[in-house]
Amino acid sequence: MSVLLLGTEAPEVAVLVEALDADVLPLPTQFAEGGATDWPWADELERWRAAASDGPVVDAVVVAAWVRSPAGPVPLDGVGLDAWVARGELPLARWFAALGAAVRRCADGGAVVAVVERPAPLDCAGWAPETGVADAVEAMVRSLARSEGGRGVRVNAVTTPVRLVDGPVVDPQPPLSSFPGTVEVEVAGAIRMLLGDDAAGVTGTVLDAGCGRS
Amino acid sequence: MTDARVVVVTGASGGVGRGIALACGEAGWTVWIAARRADAGRAVAAEVDARGGAGRFVPCEVGDADSVAGAMADVVGVSGRLDGVVHNATSGLSPVPGHLADLPIADLRDHVAVSVRGTYLLATQALPHLEATTGALVVLTSEAGFEGKAKLPAYAAVKAAQRGLVRALAREWGPRGVRVNALAPLASTPAMVTAMERDPSMAGRVMGHLPLGRLGDAETDIGPVTRFLLGDDSRYVTGVTIMADGGSCPIS
Repeated sequence: MSVLLLGTEAPEVAVLVEALDADVLPLPTQFAEGGATDWPWADELERWRAAASDGPVVDAVVVAAWVRSPAGPVPLDGVGLDAWVARGELPLARWFAALGAAVRRCADGGAVVAVVERPAPLDCAGWAPETGVADAVEAMVRSLARSEGGRGVRVNAVTTPVRLVDGPVVDPQPPLSSFPGTVEVEVAGAIRMLLGDDAAGVTGTVLDAGCGRS
Repeated sequence: MTDARVVVVTGASGGVGRGIALACGEAGWTVWIAARRADAGRAVAAEVDARGGAGRFVPCEVGDADSVAGAMADVVGVSGRLDGVVHNATSGLSPVPGHLADLPIADLRDHVAVSVRGTYLLATQALPHLEATTGALVVLTSEAGFEGKAKLPAYAAVKAAQRGLVRALAREWGPRGVRVNALAPLASTPAMVTAMERDPSMAGRVMGHLPLGRLGDAETDIGPVTRFLLGDDSRYVTGVTIMADGGSCPIS
């Protein structure tokens, strides 16, 4: 299966590219300066989406619009407005642009998988922006599952807390000692399943590759 | 909290927000109508008075940090306390249909500014005051945030993002005595009427999977549930999304 991966320059995304043997379409991560709350990067994202949508279609598209490295857990009242935009609004907009391009590049009867970072509910304190973005992506996936189902395109998500664990987790401990898992094994395995024929009847779902934590 | 609560309701100059404000007014609470439209906001404040509460209007642009800070300062400056905040306002683009791959990023920005940044700004500005009263934050989300919407993907995305924020904030603020919950209403509102006019098939889709067979009323169906989430009867409830949707959403 030929896989196109729309991803950022995050090191863990490179690991995913290798694990899936995917071709890469880079997502924009460097933007013009400006007042962050005005989204000075909106036009650039728009242009990127238009260009990225205008390419050959493939049967399998994976989207990993991860930030380069997570900022670390901070209670929301300690997150300033610029940091809020950087951790919440910009990633949300990048996911929106990326998933729009992904379904344009997906052939009829193909599959799209969004790979999203999301802390387990027990562990989400300090990760409010990331939790909000992850839930938004889940809704985007379900919206696209509805709009693309008519042409046989399946759209699903895999969630992982792999980079969002900071020290000991809240009790009870995760069921699997492999928590929080790895990109190359737990995450890539879930993606392969959702892209493959064994998931032919699966769309609009979220598969948590969190080693049972959720 | 005492019975003389002071609450702020955003986007309360009409629709669901107005219904929530009136329901809180019936309890005798002081209700601040936080909205952009002064005339409509003051009219709802007068309706709150007529219900037995104390209606007040404060101008507020929920996506603007200075505006939210100013509104909170005005409320606490006049009323002396803050027991609850209800973030109900949504983008005026909420009923505008479009496909996720084509929707302008600038439109998404408007959705995010009102719903998501608005939640962030209101939450962070209100926290010290809510902590002082062991108060509550209630965020109005939607079944769209669970199910997704083929034609309203930006609306669905920001409504889902709000649920994520609520889940995280409940864990962060619980030890500080502040409860955070979400409410997903389905009610007949001007926005819904507009959406149904733009998409004539919508009425059939909505009513077709509505076990209770009718759209909710903002004041008598949604308002009391919001009042519950603001009041002592829900003092052991945090981090949840309550569906007040006539059984419409099968996911929850």
